[in-house]
Amino acid sequence: MNMLEINDLHVTVGNTEIVKGLTLAVPAGETHAIMGPNGSGKSTLAYTLAGRENYRVTAGDAALEGVDLLALTPEQRAVKGLFLSFQYPIEIPGLSAIAFLKAALNAQRKAHGVEPMSAPELLKLMREKAAALNIGEALLKRPLNVGFSGGEKKRFEALQMAVLQPRFAILDETDSGLDIDALKVVAESVNSLRTPDRGFLVITHYQRLLDYIKPDKVHVLANGRIMKSGGPELALELEREGYDKYLRAA
Amino acid sequence: MQLVDLPTRRDESWRYSDLRMALSDVTMPPDGTRPLQAWNRLDGVVDRLALAQGQHAFTKVQPGEEETLIELVGGDAPFEASVREISVAPGGALTRIMIQTRGNVVLDAAHVSVSDKAVFRQFILAEGAKLARIETNVEIEGEGAEVELQGVYLCNEGRHADLTSIVTHKSPNGKTKQLVKGVARNGGRGVFQGKIVVERGAQKTDARQYHHGMLLEEGAEIFAKPELMIHADDVACAHGNTAGGLDETALFYLRSRGVRETEARALLTEAFLFEALPEWLPPNMRGELEARVGAWLRGAR
Repeated sequence: MNMLEINDLHVTVGNTEIVKGLTLAVPAGETHAIMGPNGSGKSTLAYTLAGRENYRVTAGDAALEGVDLLALTPEQRAVKGLFLSFQYPIEIPGLSAIAFLKAALNAQRKAHGVEPMSAPELLKLMREKAAALNIGEALLKRPLNVGFSGGEKKRFEALQMAVLQPRFAILDETDSGLDIDALKVVAESVNSLRTPDRGFLVITHYQRLLDYIKPDKVHVLANGRIMKSGGPELALELEREGYDKYLRAA
Repeated sequence: MQLVDLPTRRDESWRYSDLRMALSDVTMPPDGTRPLQAWNRLDGVVDRLALAQGQHAFTKVQPGEEETLIELVGGDAPFEASVREISVAPGGALTRIMIQTRGNVVLDAAHVSVSDKAVFRQFILAEGAKLARIETNVEIEGEGAEVELQGVYLCNEGRHADLTSIVTHKSPNGKTKQLVKGVARNGGRGVFQGKIVVERGAQKTDARQYHHGMLLEEGAEIFAKPELMIHADDVACAHGNTAGGLDETALFYLRSRGVRETEARALLTEAFLFEALPEWLPPNMRGELEARVGAWLRGAR
């Protein structure tokens, strides 16, 4: 069964159509990669699926486990199990990373009719998950993402994913800003979540990330459409030959 | 009404707080008896109204002593005015916490004189009233004194909160740190007027003044008049003043993690306001203030 199904999706930002008839299906248990040049619509796709304002869907549909995503608010999509790892995580002065995570986890539990997690339980869970990602406890107490290095921000995104345990995760250029050691740690964390009842969509420019998070399928996105789909070998071909021929074809 | 000349909206420091209008349907109290003793010249509008009501208080901090003063202002009376004179002797420290959550016309003035190496720290939480105005006048008389003025205002529909202050550095090596943050909803009005004066002799003064307001809804009003007047040439002074809305990107970030929009807004606004809660607040007082702000943000109007 397909977890994520996108059909002929058209998205306009401002007055510009960015996604122009995108069709994609990710079955449960699979990890798909979307590769494409700058401006091809990768991040627009990610934000649209997560429900960001001002990303106007003019045609087509998107469903997660049969539920129309586009009819839901961003928070309802999250409760449904969708998670977006941001390319540029947002800084929030005055809100600690741990308070942010607590608000998120307990909001999702509440929506599912589960009691909120108590502070000591939560702390224990976070410590355990943070340790696996080499995140020090001091970082959790700092204001969210403020003064975090690029790598720390991405590791904190991975920590959120590990704590929230989503059904379907979109990783938007998780490799940008990560050095190779951090990349391995983050990839390990993602891989540990890869189970038959979960799905992943990995958005990236480069093949490098896919050495660590091995995709079942690779799609080439250019000019707002999927131009080609194939196995992992497609990523290697792109690395060798670039996106030029797809851009010309588009 | 004859006892004072009420300021008009044209008077500089009353531009945003229309006292004449606020008092138009209030019966003024009879003229009280002025106390014989006063440390300062009490000739401001609030001073004279407070003296007429007999609301005149003194706080004197002895050399090297530390004291905390907690004040609640605003009640059921149609009109309340109070004045307090404060002196902090050399090496002394006063922490003043003022909470104003209700009232009709509520006026308060403090006149603070700070001596050598003395500390005056103040935090005000104001929820506004038909008209609430809290004035703080600080004169830094001694060398190396430290002044901290922090505040938060929360203005619902029909509420007006005005935090006005003048800090005058008269001696060298003084320090002033001011951070006021506030929010207003539709029909609420927040006012910040802050003036820092550095006199000629007050070299090596370090003065920082920041005010940040957030308009939570269409129809909210925030007025700000930050002023620095520097007459000395060897000082470090900075000020910043902003007014705006909630960061929509941050709101989306929280919502994308499953936090409902109303709660996400409350969390972000709390994060914004809590920065103005000073770290020196006693823990129980901090808890109380955080809870009040949280309840206000989540409360029905």
